[in-house]
Amino acid sequence: MTEFIILGIFSGASYALASMGIVLTYKTSGIFNFAYGGIALFLAYVFWTLRDKWHLNEWISLPLVLIVVAPLLGLLLEAIFRPLAAVAVEVQIVVALGILAFFITLVPIIFGATPTNLPTIFSHRHFRFDGITILFGGVAGESGLFTLLTAAGLAVFLFVLLQRTQFGTATRAVVDNRELAGLIAVNSNRVGQATWIISTVFAAISGILLSTQSGLDIREIPLLALYSLAPAVLGRLVSLPLAFGGSIALGVAQDVLQKFNTTGTVANIESSIPYFTLILLLMVYGSRLKEVRSSLRSLPDPGRYFEREKVRLPWGVGSAVAAGVLIPLMFSGPIQHDIAEAMAYSIVALTVVVLTGWTGQISIAQMSFAAIGAFSVAHMAGTVGSRFPLGILFGVLIAAPVGVIIGLPSLRLSGLFLALATLAFALIMDTFVYSFGAITGGQTGIGVSTVSLGPISLRGYTSQFYLCLAVLTVLAAGAWLLKRGPIGRRLSMVRDSPAAASTLGANLTLTKLAVFAVCGVVASIGGSLLAMTQQSVDPMNFAWNTSLQVLLLVVVGGRSFISGAVAAGALQLVQLLPGIPPVVHTYEPLTIAVTVILIAKGYQGLPQNAFDQARYCMAVLYRLPRPPRAARTAADRPAPDGPPVPVPAPEPVTAEVPALSTRVTHG
Amino acid sequence: MAESTTARLPVSVAAGGPLLQVSEVTVRFGGLTALDAVDLDVMPGQITGLIGPNGAGKTTLFNVITGLQTPTSGHVRLSGSDINRWPPQRRARAGMARTFQRLELFVGLSVRDNLLSAWESRIPGGVFGRRSRDGRELADHVLRRLGLQHLADRPAGELPTGLGRMVELGRALCTEPKLLLLDEPSSGLDHVETEAFREVLLDTTAGGPDSPAVLLVEHDMRLVMEVCDQITVLEFGKRIACGTPDQIRNDGKVIAAYLGEPAG
Repeated sequence: MTEFIILGIFSGASYALASMGIVLTYKTSGIFNFAYGGIALFLAYVFWTLRDKWHLNEWISLPLVLIVVAPLLGLLLEAIFRPLAAVAVEVQIVVALGILAFFITLVPIIFGATPTNLPTIFSHRHFRFDGITILFGGVAGESGLFTLLTAAGLAVFLFVLLQRTQFGTATRAVVDNRELAGLIAVNSNRVGQATWIISTVFAAISGILLSTQSGLDIREIPLLALYSLAPAVLGRLVSLPLAFGGSIALGVAQDVLQKFNTTGTVANIESSIPYFTLILLLMVYGSRLKEVRSSLRSLPDPGRYFEREKVRLPWGVGSAVAAGVLIPLMFSGPIQHDIAEAMAYSIVALTVVVLTGWTGQISIAQMSFAAIGAFSVAHMAGTVGSRFPLGILFGVLIAAPVGVIIGLPSLRLSGLFLALATLAFALIMDTFVYSFGAITGGQTGIGVSTVSLGPISLRGYTSQFYLCLAVLTVLAAGAWLLKRGPIGRRLSMVRDSPAAASTLGANLTLTKLAVFAVCGVVASIGGSLLAMTQQSVDPMNFAWNTSLQVLLLVVVGGRSFISGAVAAGALQLVQLLPGIPPVVHTYEPLTIAVTVILIAKGYQGLPQNAFDQARYCMAVLYRLPRPPRAARTAADRPAPDGPPVPVPAPEPVTAEVPALSTRVTHG
Repeated sequence: MAESTTARLPVSVAAGGPLLQVSEVTVRFGGLTALDAVDLDVMPGQITGLIGPNGAGKTTLFNVITGLQTPTSGHVRLSGSDINRWPPQRRARAGMARTFQRLELFVGLSVRDNLLSAWESRIPGGVFGRRSRDGRELADHVLRRLGLQHLADRPAGELPTGLGRMVELGRALCTEPKLLLLDEPSSGLDHVETEAFREVLLDTTAGGPDSPAVLLVEHDMRLVMEVCDQITVLEFGKRIACGTPDQIRNDGKVIAAYLGEPAG
């Protein structure tokens, strides 16, 4: 028992490093660093490459990483996030997720994807406790103790730095109100840079120490950052001592559970406990979770502006009909099949457009909803293909209440905490639900036989293609019609100004829950179609990172537009089609991550951007009347008549001074 | 629920009670007392001014009245019913509407849709298109009254501040409010726009007891003195005076608060 507790404390120390790093970034910059695990991963690989591949010893490579590489990366991140300080939290989350995806895809490209076991950084010495050699021998114990001591030391350092120094006060002033801090002679940019440098160095330390324990594995290190989300939320994202204590408690709980769960009676409970804790904390804390900087976000979003679907309904339906006629004529069966799969994917992407683009709620779990539909079909129609409609219905019936449950944290939580709740849901699906063999068929998944819709067999590629096309067209046309009506207006209200919406009589709670439920249902239908096209349902295809990928593809495609969902499907098609060179497969996700980071601030997506730019160039070239400049990206858009962002008059700013000073003292 | 309040309204109005009654409302943020046992009455059909130096707690009081901020203690009553525990949307459906000191437009919508969405939020079932024709007519009527009809299809987010404030006012009017709360509506407006706003405000309340009561937070003293029937003055979260514009103009404490001299 004792050794499990000790081991738990050691693994808790790793989580403590990561959760303190997340809290530090959030506290000091107001940005929730979803990318933390990715940054830690990258810097850990840099360190081990310097030490073991380039054979610099640790006394050179460690300072090199901690004093040169990490601070430079910190400066770069600060430069990325600084312009996003006052924009919608949704944009910040998307950019952070883009950076996470960037590092997760970059590391295997640069360093290779094979997990490596590592020696300890420093000398080897047997570590004994209570006369018991720690399990796995002295090495694990030693590096565990080292991690614990480092984490504790850094915790004390951070606490003193933030509570007792002028830098800490300046930091809190900048987080509270950048402009005001500037007025009282705090150089906000310098403070911002310093905090990003510190937190990136922290990520480096976390990454390196974690890798000594778990080995260099592109899956393990980001996972540990996800584990540490719960302790970070325990401290409401601002308390370092609570994050530290929570991490240790989590580590102990995991290792003790592992001891009692050796028989595997409760599937994989020790890996899913951090996520259950996270979602529980979010529900329990509820409205007490307040975002820092939230006072600033009531400003209208400079990146957000009027957008109306560029593709009109007749054109959309017309091109669907044209596709229905042409694609079966032009392409062979397997390609039609890939297109069908991409369209099923587009249906899931459509829910991301509605949730993120129209309602301003980020969901990193839409593929988990798709999984509900997929597994329902697999179970109902796995052997008897005619029960396919029943499978779809079953999925819908499960997905709706689950959508409501996942939407529940959104009742009083803002975008960030809701995004965390959806992430927790996706991770619970991954680690807990998927681990039940009875649900998922284990590692191999479940096969789906040839399904049929009433008398119509969906054996042929063409029939599957037509089914997906029809469902996508109906759903997209329905969404298009709803967007133009009162429901679309209600979604825009919730996104643009929740405060104004509620004081005008809109019920935010009901709206958000309904949107989550409907989007869950639609994603589930998309998942059912994916099950049909893939002919087997593999939990790996519905893991949290696939949900992340859908979100990023939609951002690239244009998250405010239905066409963005179609574009997301098309981008996914690149991964599916035969004959695409491997280099494209390798670099596509990386390119998408970079594109997301670059264009996330505008809401239009790449095709629309490119189209507008092209049209603008053509207009200039041919001296045609220029298109209204409002059609270009928000960043380029000049004020047509007056500033688009109403700059608050000087009075309101001064009115905030007493509030600011209290937050500085008591925050 | 909203209907029952609406149904009760005429009784209490007939009894001559205040439409809105704020009693002993206190709000503390940590160690800072933003509002300290503030009392405020708004009579039906009247324009009540709420003035005070910056940081006096005016916007906090607005947030308490509209339900965005829960008071530490004290009560808010609307037409006699205690609405302390009502969420903002229920208060809105009972007849409250507000504008914001910092613009809170739905920037993704056109000007007309901003107004229409307000109507749809207030009408039960409005989100499913119930009585949408009435809503359109009302929105167009309000747009004309505010002189915004030529901007109806323009994106709300592209308007300059002055017009944005007009749109917010129109949006509030589209809920057909009984109580209209305006938070510094003239800040950021030039002289011409302020004048236009004053006319709209007087026009809105010209209908006697049937027209909405207005609670107006304003820095433009000339405007306040001109349009208000009653004025309440806040300083550091406390009510220091309350009365007609003439009384306020001659109140020693108010002069001291604004000119920074010790009260005599």
